[in-house]
Amino acid sequence: MNIEQYVETAIRPRLQGDGGEVRFAEQKEDRLTLVFQGECSKCLILERCVAWIEQQIAHDLGEQVHIVAVRKKPYFWDV
Amino acid sequence: MAHIAVVRRSMRPEEWTQLRFGWLKRHIYKKQYEIKTLQIRNARQVSEMEFVFDDEFVPLCKGDLYFTPDGTAFICGDLAIPEDFRQEELWLTLKTAAEIIVKVNGVYVGGVDPNRERVLLSPYLAPGTERLHFEMQGYNRSKPDDERNPESLSVRGCRQIFEGAYLSVVDHDVLDLVYDLELFLNIAGSELFSEDYRAFLNRELSRALDCIDFEDDGLPGLSDAKRYIEEKIYANTDYQGSGDVALLAHSHLDLAYYWRMDRYPEFKYTHTQAYTYETLETHYPEVFEELKARIAEGRFEPVGAMYVEPDCNIPSAESLVRQCLYGQLYFREKFGKTIQNCWLPDVFGNSWILPQILKKSGVDYFVSNKMSTWNDTNRFPHNNFIWRGIDGSEVYACVPPTHFITWNMPSQIQENWEAYQDKNVGGQTLSMFGYGDGGSGCTEEMLELMRRFSKVSVMPKTEHVGAQEFLERNLKDNRELAKWDGELYLEMHRGTFTTKAEIKKANRRLEYKLREAEIIATLRALGGAAYPADALKRCWKKLLVNQFHDILPGSHIAPVYRDAMADYAEIDRTLDEIIGTGSQYFNSLNFARTQLTFFENENGDSTRFGRKGYWCVPNLPALSHGEVRRSVGTSARWCVPGETVETPFYAIRFAPDGSMESLWDKTLGREWVAGAFNKLCVYEDKPGVYDAWDILPNYREKPVRVEVASPLTLAECSDEAATFEAELRVGQSTWIRRIRLFRLSRGIEVENVVDWREKHRLAKAEFTCNVLAREALCDLGAGFIRRETHRNTSWQQARFEVCHHKWCDLAETDGGIALINDCKYGVGFLENQISLSLLRATVRPDPTSDMGMHRFAYLILPHAGDAVDAQINRIALEYNVPIVKADVSCQNAFPGLFLQAMKLSEDGKMVVVRLAETEGHRGVLTLPKKVKLLNLLEDIEGEAEAVPYKPFEILTLGIPLQA
Repeated sequence: MNIEQYVETAIRPRLQGDGGEVRFAEQKEDRLTLVFQGECSKCLILERCVAWIEQQIAHDLGEQVHIVAVRKKPYFWDV
Repeated sequence: MAHIAVVRRSMRPEEWTQLRFGWLKRHIYKKQYEIKTLQIRNARQVSEMEFVFDDEFVPLCKGDLYFTPDGTAFICGDLAIPEDFRQEELWLTLKTAAEIIVKVNGVYVGGVDPNRERVLLSPYLAPGTERLHFEMQGYNRSKPDDERNPESLSVRGCRQIFEGAYLSVVDHDVLDLVYDLELFLNIAGSELFSEDYRAFLNRELSRALDCIDFEDDGLPGLSDAKRYIEEKIYANTDYQGSGDVALLAHSHLDLAYYWRMDRYPEFKYTHTQAYTYETLETHYPEVFEELKARIAEGRFEPVGAMYVEPDCNIPSAESLVRQCLYGQLYFREKFGKTIQNCWLPDVFGNSWILPQILKKSGVDYFVSNKMSTWNDTNRFPHNNFIWRGIDGSEVYACVPPTHFITWNMPSQIQENWEAYQDKNVGGQTLSMFGYGDGGSGCTEEMLELMRRFSKVSVMPKTEHVGAQEFLERNLKDNRELAKWDGELYLEMHRGTFTTKAEIKKANRRLEYKLREAEIIATLRALGGAAYPADALKRCWKKLLVNQFHDILPGSHIAPVYRDAMADYAEIDRTLDEIIGTGSQYFNSLNFARTQLTFFENENGDSTRFGRKGYWCVPNLPALSHGEVRRSVGTSARWCVPGETVETPFYAIRFAPDGSMESLWDKTLGREWVAGAFNKLCVYEDKPGVYDAWDILPNYREKPVRVEVASPLTLAECSDEAATFEAELRVGQSTWIRRIRLFRLSRGIEVENVVDWREKHRLAKAEFTCNVLAREALCDLGAGFIRRETHRNTSWQQARFEVCHHKWCDLAETDGGIALINDCKYGVGFLENQISLSLLRATVRPDPTSDMGMHRFAYLILPHAGDAVDAQINRIALEYNVPIVKADVSCQNAFPGLFLQAMKLSEDGKMVVVRLAETEGHRGVLTLPKKVKLLNLLEDIEGEAEAVPYKPFEILTLGIPLQA
């Protein structure tokens, strides 16, 4: 399973369970860009979750990545 | 000379009081001992009490991150109680953003959550206990509604920092004073109370705190401060309030939304939803036994007769009946009670058919807060009143003036009294207290404050009440109450009739499939076959749970949607097994099926939703089975395409997008089109933070371009049906419209296949009709409602989008246009326009909402006379009720009424027949022999051979099975 599939099948459902959303954007070497929407887009402590995703990828796929988190807020929170 | 405003930079007295209040709270714990042996194991819940574990137990230390996205944490640990704690009253303190249930030495002792950081242990510990074994299970609470609790908002998120767990001893002298200050600081900060009294409080509270020496950790002067407050503030009667407020303890529990699903002897608590009791009984039997004891004592009151708190716009009449039936049966079986109230604090409006269903389910009282606190246009004019239903049934109703979630603060109670509109006739006003929209419920603080209210002269008179006690005392036999005759329309959340289209489609389809399965199973049982009572009941209960008011309306996160669709698939499979098959087609309707119907057949000459089949008139008599024969086709060319398409009924001029520029009715000799007609219109849909819930009144202001990718052309023409197809583009989405004309039917079917990839869009089909009508008729599932199509007053203006079921109709005396749908509920009317809501694309709470493929259809049906003359309801039933193979039949067809359900009674001793009058007629049903007259709970209330009925009445008959 590659990282894109892993994010889609293992990480995304969990974030959705908390009203969040994450989509794979791109991977360049160890640099993984993820787009966070929903509740994640305005989470005050998203960096903790991002660190957890990095840990999960390392644990389950054996890959060390650095995640670039892009927040995509819906219009009504974009103030 | 320029004026320079003076800014006060020094501390005001009330700020000094607040500061010292904060210092005081630091002394609530006399002593604490950190529990350092805790271990944690993370898991993810996959179904009821089923978990997939991420890892093994690992140590959990202060400062560690804990909880994972959508994760459940299991925490355990052991502790030898320190010597100097053994004679003390012991508490567990754990400050958390999660909701954690706590078990100590094998016994559930309570829970901690963002509003409750400690739980008392001592009453659960055997004398001489020296060791404690903790088992905790927590779900992190990162939901949005914590906005009401600023402290928890600041730490909201999936990964939390563990702040430590402690064995604690509370200093009750400090805590008492904290509660006094909480009470008076709330009054001092609220403009709802007299300015003079607030000034008095600010002065005297500061003086009271002056008694304490905060430099000394022993807080010398604490008792003096307490005495000062008693003697100077509580004892003061110079300032008098007014009012009479009943305080009711209740926590609103959403089954699914952003998640999936005795120290106060005077305290009474209310809780709804039989399903939650059933779940507790299954998974926490020991807690359930304790609950039963509390219910028997009268301290825990089950309220709300229904199985869950369902949406009350979209479910069918039979679904609402089953909500009551399965709710009440559970309460009767487990607690020996028939609940006399319907408790729906958070439901998004209530159908006019509800009072009758409640009344016939043993329910005399209805409670819902929503209309008073959420209406966006009009102030709902009553709080305590009588609600009259479509058939004239009446229930007592309470729409409390304020929100169903309060934390029992004096200002909230005062606000409730001031907002109460029936002060002179309605008796007490109802104020609910308890955190909700999740867990937490009532806290110790709320109860402590309640004990103090009677000593505060400026507050209204208050009384802690039970639900039924309040309702009976203030509403029962109260002849002065005003009467509301009509639906309880909520002037908000109008988008919930449309959001998550696939859930609504599955619910509609399965409601009718359940009807079909029960009728077939009952008729087979009469022939000696076993009746699958348990399987049918399981299907019903699954369907009822998914009618919860944040599931069926679509206001939930993606996993809730997936769970619901999985439940629907399971119901579907079970019903397929129950229905089985037969050699001939069965008409489960209790009138002859005479409408053109599509029968799938791989050799068919027509296509519908990609499947081959034939269009036939079944000509099956009521409740009987038989062969369905294809009509003898015609060699004549019955559909002539061209600039004007000619059929035996119409001459139609189409636009390339499938809309009609003219619909000339050859039979009735009139034109039906007066503008855009069957026009697909898409609008920008940005209602704000209540994205899935709301549609704004000005949604039409920003139309979105709909392009014709492939103009309308004739795609297929068989002996019976001619299908024209157009492909449209909306942004990234493809929308295929197939307009189907018939040789033998006046109906014009519009099939829609949509690959929907938009965001913030509302799609509607709009019809500008050549009809002069000030009212539209809307099907409610068991009768219809007339709704004004003008905008004369703010009440009509607010109802720009309403809920209907299978059909709506706009008619003059001599004729009109009905719109029959297979799964759509939202519709708007404006003068001669109908706009049927088709799809939305919302992003909160689910950014993926409604994305993907949609298949749905509606039927445009111009007709002579009005909707009743034209038998629109029957035609709509034929359009929605499946026709399946089963070799069963029933001799009695119960003419004049709609057979809403036929089943074996819950005790298996009778055939239960439920009949609904749907057209507004009065009459007498004559039966071949005496039958039992039942209420909706299947209690026998009499017997008769001739049963009179009134307009829109629902009758339930019981036919005893022969031994």
